[in-house]
Amino acid sequence: MNAFLVLTRKEFSAALLSPIAYTIAAVFLLVLGYTFSLTLFATKVANLNYIFHQMYVLSILLVPVLTMRAVAEERRNDTLELLLSAPVAEVWMVLSKFAATWAVMLAIYALSGVYALVLAWVGEPDWGPILIGYAAMALLSALLVSVGLLASSLTENQVIAAALSLGAFLMLWFADSVAPMLPAVLEPVALNLSLLAHFKPLVSGSVFLSDAMYFISLTLCALWLASRQLADR
Amino acid sequence: MNNSPSAVSARGVVKRYGPVLALDDFSLDIQRGEVVCLLGPNGSGKTTFIRLLAGFMSPSAGTLQVAGFDVQREPMQARQCIGYAPESAPMYRHMRVGEFLAFMARLRQVPARQVQEAVARVAEQLALTHKLDAPMPTLSRGYRQRVCIAQALVHEPKLLILDEPSNGLDPRQIIEMRQLIRSLARHYTVLMSSHILSEVARTADRVVALLGGQIRGQRDVNPSDTDLEDWFLSLA
Repeated sequence: MNAFLVLTRKEFSAALLSPIAYTIAAVFLLVLGYTFSLTLFATKVANLNYIFHQMYVLSILLVPVLTMRAVAEERRNDTLELLLSAPVAEVWMVLSKFAATWAVMLAIYALSGVYALVLAWVGEPDWGPILIGYAAMALLSALLVSVGLLASSLTENQVIAAALSLGAFLMLWFADSVAPMLPAVLEPVALNLSLLAHFKPLVSGSVFLSDAMYFISLTLCALWLASRQLADR
Repeated sequence: MNNSPSAVSARGVVKRYGPVLALDDFSLDIQRGEVVCLLGPNGSGKTTFIRLLAGFMSPSAGTLQVAGFDVQREPMQARQCIGYAPESAPMYRHMRVGEFLAFMARLRQVPARQVQEAVARVAEQLALTHKLDAPMPTLSRGYRQRVCIAQALVHEPKLLILDEPSNGLDPRQIIEMRQLIRSLARHYTVLMSSHILSEVARTADRVVALLGGQIRGQRDVNPSDTDLEDWFLSLA
């Protein structure tokens, strides 16, 4: 546990001193602000449903940039040799990287809360769906960050890591679209793997345990695989 | 843990990278307090053995023990006994020297209240005190090497492993590094690797010659040895 705290602190300071997190936050909030203004003026409806879908797409595009260096950079710079020769279990290394990167994503989402405050200023939003939407974003980003970490643990090349995670996200996104083309036995599997199919109900304010469990179980699975990948060397 | 007096005990260690045999039936004992140097050309298996011992890689076959702890079955205890300085002297570019040493001390389970004391101790030992506030990327190669050795010593390990510590250093830095290793040898068991024959005789107590992943010979050495080159060539 102590190793987890030591490593998480190191990951946080690395994230805060790197321009990558700030650039991603700036791009994220800029694009979101543009969409928010357009939607608000066009629909004059006080909800963030469109914004959450926009956040979904932006997260899929930007999380690979945030996670690509997590393990790949340690491997390329040989600092992984230092970490893995210390008396620290691989799972703490993975969890610390996950905690720091997830926290960065949550901080970016929290900054987008300013749009909810704007809605409250100009109208009377229903806060229930907005809070559930943010919970859905937290679950989505946990899944994306864990899969991104897994991709980063597979290679020392950051570009390859980013490409692998983006590919995995897109396959999960469109899994339900390809389902009808698959053999009957695989069709339900593809349908159940669909990211969008589990995200849509949550972000619309309909909470199903199965949707939450989808995100939690895939996140844990990706983190376990990443820690196995580090352990099997 | 067994009662083996050896700092290192390797028995029949084999390491394969796919079809390539990097280490073949490698057996070696290192007694506490010894300075042992693995000598061999590039690709002879020196770094592979060191990485196996440091726990960075797993052997394909055989057993490895550090201070009586099995590297595979008791990895945390074995790693706690090791201080490892890789050849490339890796560092975190966003840290300062003191911060980096404190981070490595905490990671190696130095109690929180003793971390600053441990950092000050190794900084003094390696003449780094005036560099503690320096950002890591500003260090010369020689100082990077010193910082890398300092991080390996910060938890007072039983075994210090130095992979090619003189690599990339200029002649003056090589002399300083040699003196440094000899001074460390008074307190630690040292396993180092090198492919520079002249350095080996002046630094180590015993040299182990590796070729093609196998031990071809080993002998005691001292600074006055003049036949080390002939001995090594006779093995090749």
